[in-house]
Amino acid sequence: MRFRIYRYDPDADSRPRMQDYELPLESTDRMVLDALVRLKEQDDSISFRRSCREGVCGSDAMNINGRNGLACVTPLKGIAEPVTLAPLPGFPVVRDLVVDMTQFFAHYHAVRPYLVNNEPLPERERLQSPEDRDKLNELYECILCACCSAFCPSYWWNPDKFIGPAGLLQAQRFIVDSRDRITAERLEFLDDVYKLYRCRTIMNCTEVCPKGLSPARAIEEIKVALVRKSV
Amino acid sequence: MRLFSGQREFLLQRLTALVMLAYLAAGALWLAFGPSVTFAQWQSWSAKPLAASALLALALALLAHAWVGIRDVVLDYVHPLRLRLAVLSGVAAGLAMLAIWVAMILIRHMVALA
Amino acid sequence: MMRTPTSRPVFLNFARIRFPVGAVASIGHRISGVVLACSLPFVFFALDRSMGSEGEFAYLIDVLRSPFGRMALVLLAWACTHHLFAGIRHLLMDVGVGASLTMARRTAYATLGTAAAIAAAAAVFA
Repeated sequence: MRFRIYRYDPDADSRPRMQDYELPLESTDRMVLDALVRLKEQDDSISFRRSCREGVCGSDAMNINGRNGLACVTPLKGIAEPVTLAPLPGFPVVRDLVVDMTQFFAHYHAVRPYLVNNEPLPERERLQSPEDRDKLNELYECILCACCSAFCPSYWWNPDKFIGPAGLLQAQRFIVDSRDRITAERLEFLDDVYKLYRCRTIMNCTEVCPKGLSPARAIEEIKVALVRKSV
Repeated sequence: MRLFSGQREFLLQRLTALVMLAYLAAGALWLAFGPSVTFAQWQSWSAKPLAASALLALALALLAHAWVGIRDVVLDYVHPLRLRLAVLSGVAAGLAMLAIWVAMILIRHMVALA
Repeated sequence: MMRTPTSRPVFLNFARIRFPVGAVASIGHRISGVVLACSLPFVFFALDRSMGSEGEFAYLIDVLRSPFGRMALVLLAWACTHHLFAGIRHLLMDVGVGASLTMARRTAYATLGTAAAIAAAAAVFA
């Protein structure tokens, strides 16, 4: 199987280049990551991140044949050749397929991704009704792989100011949590032409989310909550 | 008040869109079921104060909608601060001039046929 | 040697990125909006003329029938249709109608198709 991989070594290359590889597939090669691991045996200078290799840790997010996805859950069967692997679009490249996620996580931290509740602690735990717990479904499953934000044109143009789909999905996850007490503050923080409203509902985020979540929908719900708040 | 608001412009964009949709629906219904319009009828109808005000309201909704849209395009693609401010002020001035112009067209027409 | 993030390359080659249909509909929405905004002075000029006299009205029709006028009409027909349908699509998605990925893809195709069809019709009949 033919592969074309984005290569960039900051110490040797003045600019990135694409390098072609040929790999005879074995029966154990099922996902793009399997092939990538064996390609590294061929050429140990190829750099990429991976950890759990089963779609849970979110380390091996990359652009595969023009779409962002996790290499570990993208099947090789039926994939178009040459399989073109590039780093996440719009993110600064550290080396080969490894990108700098500093800004991405700065946005994540900015939405305060934790419960804020200063009421006295109950004896055991803060309870939640099953209905309230259900509101967190399709929000809490995010693994922060950055496939969505790195596929969002709005994030490409304003990566320093727009929070991006991943961060906003997390924001909504805490806005709807019945145990959180700073909903109004969270909404006020997001009422900003850059932080939230750069989103044009292109839905590229929902297209590529490997967990099948819809950041676009979460963002629309934040906008609706903001309208409710001011009407 | 911040120069570039989030929700204010978001709502303005949606509301002006709804206003224009209402005009479009009314226009389409007229074309489909109403009697055909001669030039003389159009000329005298558009000179009535109520009709002229309605046309002006439509033009203003259109211009406000255009402002939000172009502002978003500029915020996405034009990054150097000075250039961005220059482009945005140019667009705002242009749209304001168009608003004055359309008001003058409608008033002149009203006066001419009064 | 430590490098500052600004010296790092960024992969953003549009020829190598496969855009979903929603992205195509979205950039069409933006382009058609800019086209419509740029046409505003001409639209207001036409409004002015159309209310003047019968002769001016006829002159306006003649201008629109010229090859250049026809091209402008086709472009405006596409821009109006695309912007209108893409806009309605977004208004509905705001209130949760057609907001699922499957529906959003279908309505994006429908928007692109309708706008292309109307532009083609304008090219043939205008």
